[in-house]
Amino acid sequence: MLRLRKTNSLILLIVVLSVFLVGCTTGNTPANNVGGENSPQGENINSGEVNLFTTRHYDTDQLLFEMFEEETGIKVNVVNAGADELLERIQLEGEDTVADALITADVGRLHTAKERDLLQPVESEILFSNIPDNLRDNDDTWFGLTKRARVIVYSPDRVDPSELSTYEALTEPQWRGRIAMRTSSNIYNISLMASFIEVWGEEKSLQWAEGLKENLARDPQGNDRDQATAVASGVADVAIMNTYYIGGMLNSANEEERNVANSVEIFFPNQETDGTHINVSGIAVTKHAKNKENAIKLMEFLSGEQAQKIFAEANNEFPANPNVQWSSWLLGLGDFKEQNIDLTALGDNHSKSIMIWDRAGFK
Amino acid sequence: MFIIKSYKHKKDVNDLFKLRDIKTNVNMWSVLSFVVIVLIILPTLNISLKLLNETSENWPHIKEYLLIDYIINTATIVAFGGAFTMIIGTSLAWLITAFKFPMSKFFKWSLLLPLAVPPYVAGFTYHGILNYTGVIQTFLRNNTNINVNQSLFNIMNHKGAIFILTLVLYPYVFAIVRSFLAKQSADLIENSRVLGKSPMATFFKVVLPISRPAIVGGVSLVILEILNEYGLFNYFGISTFSVAIFRTWFGLSDLDSAIRLAAIVMIMVLMILLLEKLMRGRKRYSYTSSKIRPIQPIELKGIKRILATLYCSVIFGFGFLIPTIQLLHWALLTYREILNVKFLGYLYNSLRVTTIATVIIVVISILIANYARIKENILTKIYTRITILGYSIPGAVIAVAVMIFFIDIDNNTYVIRQAISHNSTRLFLSTSLVMLIFAYVIRFLGIGYNSIESGFDKIGKGYFEASRLLGMSVTKTFFKVDLPMIKPAIISGFILVFIDILKELPLTMILRTFNFHTLATKAYQYANDEMIHQAAISSLLIIFISAAMIFVLNMNMSKGGRKNVYKNK
Amino acid sequence: MYIKISNLNFKYKNADKPTILDFTFNISKGEVVSIFGQSGSGKSTILRLLAGLETPKKGTIEIDDKVMVDDNVFVLPEKRGVGMVFQDYALFPHMTVEENIKFGLTKMSKSEKKIRVDEVLNLVGMKEFKSRYPHELSGGQQQRIALARAIAPKPSLLLLDEPFSNLDADLQWKIRQDLKEILEKAGITSIFVTHDKEDSLAIADKVVVLEKGEIIKIGKANQIFKDN
Repeated sequence: MLRLRKTNSLILLIVVLSVFLVGCTTGNTPANNVGGENSPQGENINSGEVNLFTTRHYDTDQLLFEMFEEETGIKVNVVNAGADELLERIQLEGEDTVADALITADVGRLHTAKERDLLQPVESEILFSNIPDNLRDNDDTWFGLTKRARVIVYSPDRVDPSELSTYEALTEPQWRGRIAMRTSSNIYNISLMASFIEVWGEEKSLQWAEGLKENLARDPQGNDRDQATAVASGVADVAIMNTYYIGGMLNSANEEERNVANSVEIFFPNQETDGTHINVSGIAVTKHAKNKENAIKLMEFLSGEQAQKIFAEANNEFPANPNVQWSSWLLGLGDFKEQNIDLTALGDNHSKSIMIWDRAGFK
Repeated sequence: MFIIKSYKHKKDVNDLFKLRDIKTNVNMWSVLSFVVIVLIILPTLNISLKLLNETSENWPHIKEYLLIDYIINTATIVAFGGAFTMIIGTSLAWLITAFKFPMSKFFKWSLLLPLAVPPYVAGFTYHGILNYTGVIQTFLRNNTNINVNQSLFNIMNHKGAIFILTLVLYPYVFAIVRSFLAKQSADLIENSRVLGKSPMATFFKVVLPISRPAIVGGVSLVILEILNEYGLFNYFGISTFSVAIFRTWFGLSDLDSAIRLAAIVMIMVLMILLLEKLMRGRKRYSYTSSKIRPIQPIELKGIKRILATLYCSVIFGFGFLIPTIQLLHWALLTYREILNVKFLGYLYNSLRVTTIATVIIVVISILIANYARIKENILTKIYTRITILGYSIPGAVIAVAVMIFFIDIDNNTYVIRQAISHNSTRLFLSTSLVMLIFAYVIRFLGIGYNSIESGFDKIGKGYFEASRLLGMSVTKTFFKVDLPMIKPAIISGFILVFIDILKELPLTMILRTFNFHTLATKAYQYANDEMIHQAAISSLLIIFISAAMIFVLNMNMSKGGRKNVYKNK
Repeated sequence: MYIKISNLNFKYKNADKPTILDFTFNISKGEVVSIFGQSGSGKSTILRLLAGLETPKKGTIEIDDKVMVDDNVFVLPEKRGVGMVFQDYALFPHMTVEENIKFGLTKMSKSEKKIRVDEVLNLVGMKEFKSRYPHELSGGQQQRIALARAIAPKPSLLLLDEPFSNLDADLQWKIRQDLKEILEKAGITSIFVTHDKEDSLAIADKVVVLEKGEIIKIGKANQIFKDN
């Protein structure tokens, strides 16, 4: 009988424990504190919070949010996930969304959010003066925070910079078997193609993708860092990748990664023609934000010089605010000519871009 | 001696004057089972209805350019992964059950450990070991000046994915076949030996045929895991169905096409399950004979001893030791920067949601398995099929199904909740972890259910009936007789589910709440941000917790095993 | 009549022929009845129907004037007051002999339980095995405990399913004698199922011969088996 009792009490314990744990679970959710529009004191109750959906998750971001809280008394609650998951969630939650602000690392997704009517315009003199026109939405729904370029990385041993000119030139026969790039599923490649569709049109973009595929040194795979490694190790001679990953590798804990980064060079293509592809990470306020004022305060804070410096350097990107002093590594890269397109094209051409990669048979 | 009074049932007989079948069919067990099953079906049904929608404009594109690729990639990896896990899992199980050799006791449980390594973690770890900046090439380059052929060291392709998946998934086959063989009567195998068959011939002529159901069962689990793997394939750039579902849903914003793709996967899964059923035929996993004498392992001699130890060591090394050591090395490089008090939070979060979900799964599994055992009819057969449903649906699709379901609930209960409290918000459940836990339950119920069902299978119905005739109701019988006897099965089920949830990625990514990280999401996040060294600590914590669980599982199984041998003497 | 079984019909779900066909039979109090038949004749099914482990398609069972089952009533097995000794005994492996026997004694005080356990253990001559576990007993000993456990709650009807099938042949004669003695002492109305006519001859007051679910003969054991 003793044994039975033991089993029973074990079950009881588990049940009690579960109830307790579930209790904590629901109790802790910040969303429970979001007062809701029906409460007359809603604004006051909410003054302490802003709920942020973000695809960024650098530890320095958390530091910035703490600084923000110290300065304003507003606590930043964060949900991290992929941009697409976050958009899907905001859309599903509709009017009741708990998200106040949205940060994505790719402006195309912000534009998609705008197209799906998930964002609202923001009036803020601070934002207008901090963020240049070309790095923000025409209707002021989203604002760029950092900028990055998708460039050609090459091995100085095997490639003379004079051989390099444009993205298009990489489809020429002398590059056969010499190029590395990650898969076309990746958002950076989707946005790259989206910008080409905007500049060149679909026909030429498709030909480019086909030509690039012909010249690949290996099947598309890995992440951007793997492309730099491919160049350093001799698998490929050139790679298309984002600048900041080289910056990240230079700071790596692994000495070999630092060696890789030191053994390759960065080339900004299309300087004589239509400019290097850039992308922007940005922030926006959701259409049904419950803490709109706080969200705007957060945006203003993040566009300020002090925050911009930390925010951009966390990922070795170019800060959007032109008054911010660049890090020495960025200064070393120098200024360059950017693609002169409306960044909203990256969102508009998103699906088309995926389809062109598919039609070219580019994995 | 005619003093025996009739048993105390006078008044019960009187108030039983209802239709007897309603009375016998409606009880706590049937009602609860029904409620749970409905809760599981509803979200899935909701999303299945979308299959009836017209195909979107993207579908022709998918069909023309991609579908063949998805099918070929998925089928190739499933076929080879299935075959290799089958070979490795079965051979190891036989080796461990039938022979003694140096360290065989240790391998008996440690060969389960690769189960603790999430496939995507194994993926980026092996890539990190093998690539140009990895330890092997660096060593060769700096010490011997050998520059290897990079394509030989490239793991990010089909072969590499099959390698990784084989190494971390073979334990499913190993575990199931091993416990099956342990339950087999030694007579069969000894007869074969007496008849002059070599151990090899015994293996191929006797062991393989009789363990076919167990092997097929294990391999089916492996295949389901492969079909659902997302992190690894995405990282390696291999377009399988799971990657494609994410790509169509999110990339093309086309939920309908994504669900269509998921439906193709489900059809494949159903075909596999059907195949398994056909191959199993009328054979049962459980044994009915009460006279079981377990196989006595025989001592290997000479070179065979060494070969056996070597074989086990190689598999254990590649599946567990090497990745773990590499992760430890990376953790040492980064712990100063990464490890802080927040990690306790991630750890707590992981353990909390995993424990809650696992307890719920175990309770539901017991509920339904017990009900299905008592009432064997069409309805309960359907119930048991439904429990496995979630395991065959891609995580991302379950996530969206659950989210839609909860938002519906929230909208429909808003008025009621408003009446109770003015502060209640429209979205209530869908902004809490209840949603995530619910999704875990749907996804992993099948794993827990299988384990607990096999526990019930093993004890049979005899004890239950004896208890009923001694005056105990179904519920009392359950607590006094069934529960203590299926305890080993409950513990196994608990641990298997726990490990699976701890590693889980897509559901957690999509359904978690504010400021909520688990070890798995943290590891994936760092890896996805191309900060592989920083991902090491979270990965290691997942591996260590799971490994500790596997150790407990082994203790439990061997203890339970011994007890059963006694019992059945 | 103490037990009235009339017109019982039963079919297993996946069987194509009925297992029990129009089984009608009465038993008076204190009688020991043997149901004799080959395997597949449906004899164990009769026991399961009496115990409430299966539900008949039609027919009624009454015990001591109380309806156990008919078209409107179904008394759950735990409420029937029927004891059963299973073919494989089904002793709970996680309980000692004493705990096994106490298991069915629900409505008694602690001291009453103790007395009853000693009583039945004395009856089956197994007093000194009280604190053993089932796996520590031989087959014959397990059977005695199973019998003691079934008798302990003083059932109105005792069912025994193939009580000798799992025992060695040389033990059978002795155990038959013992069982007969125990049943006589306990004075419980009993039905046992067997495929061995020696069992029926040795123990039963009355024998029912079953073939393909139908009764083909009823009578005293020595009359039924006198021809061969």
